Amino acid sequence: MSDSVLHHVAPDRYRRPLRQRVASVIEPWLYCAPVLVIIVAVMFVPLVLGVSYAFRDIQLLNPFSGGFVGLDHFRALGQDDAFFRALRNTLWWTGASVFLQLGFGLILALLLNVPFAGRGLAQALVFLPWAVPTFLAGLNWAWLFNPVIGPLPHWMTALGLMDEPSNILADPSIAMWGPIIAAVWWGIPFFAITLLAALQSIPKDLYEAASIDGASPWQQFRSITLPFLAPVIAITVLLRTVWVANFADLIIVMTNGGPADRTQTVASYIFTQAFKRLDFGYASAVALVLLALLLAYSMVILVLRQRLSDRDK
Amino acid sequence: MATMEIRSARKTYGTLCVLEDINLSIGDGEFIVLVGPSGCGKSTLLRMIAGLEEISAGEIRIEDRVVNDLPPKARDIAMVFQSYALYPHMNVADNMSYSLRLRKADKPTIADKVRDASAKLGLGALLERKPKALSGGQRQRVAMGRAIVRQPKAFLFDEPLSNLDARLREQMRAEIRKLHRALGATSIYVTHDQVEAMTLADRIVAMHGGHIQQVGTPLELYDRPANLFVAGFIGSPGMNFVEGAVELGTFVMRDGTRLPLPEGMPETLGGATLGIRPEHVTLGEGLAAEVELVEPTGHGIILHLRLAGAVFRVLTTDRRWLTPGDQVQVGLPAGALHLFDESEQRVAPAPHPQQ
Ligand SMILES: Nc1ncnc2c1ncn2[C@@H]1O[C@H](COP(=O)(O)OP(=O)(O)O)[C@@H](O)[C@H]1O
Ligand SMILES: [Mg+2]
Repeated sequence: MSDSVLHHVAPDRYRRPLRQRVASVIEPWLYCAPVLVIIVAVMFVPLVLGVSYAFRDIQLLNPFSGGFVGLDHFRALGQDDAFFRALRNTLWWTGASVFLQLGFGLILALLLNVPFAGRGLAQALVFLPWAVPTFLAGLNWAWLFNPVIGPLPHWMTALGLMDEPSNILADPSIAMWGPIIAAVWWGIPFFAITLLAALQSIPKDLYEAASIDGASPWQQFRSITLPFLAPVIAITVLLRTVWVANFADLIIVMTNGGPADRTQTVASYIFTQAFKRLDFGYASAVALVLLALLLAYSMVILVLRQRLSDRDK
Repeated sequence: MATMEIRSARKTYGTLCVLEDINLSIGDGEFIVLVGPSGCGKSTLLRMIAGLEEISAGEIRIEDRVVNDLPPKARDIAMVFQSYALYPHMNVADNMSYSLRLRKADKPTIADKVRDASAKLGLGALLERKPKALSGGQRQRVAMGRAIVRQPKAFLFDEPLSNLDARLREQMRAEIRKLHRALGATSIYVTHDQVEAMTLADRIVAMHGGHIQQVGTPLELYDRPANLFVAGFIGSPGMNFVEGAVELGTFVMRDGTRLPLPEGMPETLGGATLGIRPEHVTLGEGLAAEVELVEPTGHGIILHLRLAGAVFRVLTTDRRWLTPGDQVQVGLPAGALHLFDESEQRVAPAPHPQQ
């Protein structure tokens, strides 16, 4: 009986007029259309335009620019010493910032995880740097490092870290530490809060069992806390690395890439090319290279993570 | 294996007193069960022995050594937690050998002990698994294995079976008992389940409201409960109570019903409570009662009767066809009666049940 029903229905469907069939195919797309249009307009158009700039000669001050130049920008990039220096600076800046943020964030999270009077207030205060606009944070730190108005150089001299009060932002050999310190100050809350949340989800009786088994606090940290935190650390470090590598605000505000390009990172180099030299084409090419590098980095991390969690099973 | 001695131990949280004047001596190799309703302080006492909670006052000794200020690892005890507290990132073998590895035991010794313990507990095939790949019963065994490999002076258990289903609980209960007989180690076992307490214990410590109510063998607590709380807590279904007074050697219930008391009971006592276990009430001749509810248990039936204004439970293996509303006659044998005074303490010499 079901056969006969099928035979009835099937030919019927094929006999419908073309217009109806087309309409039924298009219909779901029409429902999705508003969202699709917005996504394309907001995400794809700028992305495609930006990528296309990398292959065109776009200089705001040159009315004759705009032509297609193929891979010329990338060839120029291959010869650009400033770019390679910026790449090395980026590695240093990103590595040091993320590592120190993670280290201090973890220590802060461990401290906040111990009950003490006023813990709620302390937890709220830890959030504060996160709420300060980066622009303001950069200016603040630039002033703190300035021996004319800021106290830090005088303190460091008093502690014997410096021969005389001077501005570390002006000393090419250590200028990078200025923005790194500001970035660490600004980024610690992110790690502290996420790691604290992860710490609080660890069952207390595991530590009790371990202390009965004879584990010292350090052994408990290694065999219980770290394994629990590992996935959170992996994903936050991944996110932060991409974010810090792309992060030019503090450097632009504090040193503008100087002195002698010693604090120029790829991100601030892009900013300088685009908004100081007004060479959007070249800036886009640099940005595209940075994008490719960060994508490659993310892929490596994700594959590693997958491997590790596979081994776990 | 060790003896333990708890002297005038107290536990306070701020102004809240959770345990008061706890005194207990535990013999070498004894199996002690701390039993009482939820919140009575059993876990707190166990954790004080383990070193996980500070001892506010008094003294705890393990083998004549005061351990008040010793950290858990210096007390040489092992604990099985209600949640099992297995290390989730280690496999079964690593979980069991963790304490040995911390003490830098050599590899062959560790392997030997883990093999022994896993054989005792039937975990041989699971040694490579992570805890999350185990069933509740298997996790429970791993938690026991972790305690066994250490060969500690004493085992502490905090409601280790309460997350298992009834059948498994029965089975593990028997295994714990067998294990204790094989290892002979001093054990302290916390439970709120009086059946577990009765079946496992050498001696039961009944607790209520932060005080020890009675210490004794399971049958002592069952036959001669020291007060109303123990009488009501031990045994299932619970003991029946009627309030009244003793006059001229007979018990007079509130509604005037009179009941003869056995020899040796006081002649007069105002404000007394009479107790009798449901299994000691006889059906047949005696006081008139009305059936209110019939609960078949398979093994027998539990009758809820209204007798002299109170609800009475009767446990009988007699499969009599009774329905609510039926009139029956019940006998309360004098030898099975328990009498408690106004302050809820047992009075009179120990009557022995006749059946
Ligand atoms: N950290 C604490 N602070 C205050 N009160 C507590 C704390 N831990 C336990 N208590 C109280 O102590 C009493 C005994 O708790 P516990 O020993 O866990 O009971 P149980 O007999 O159910 O194991 C409870 O009333 C509980 O509320
Ligand atoms: Mg408890």
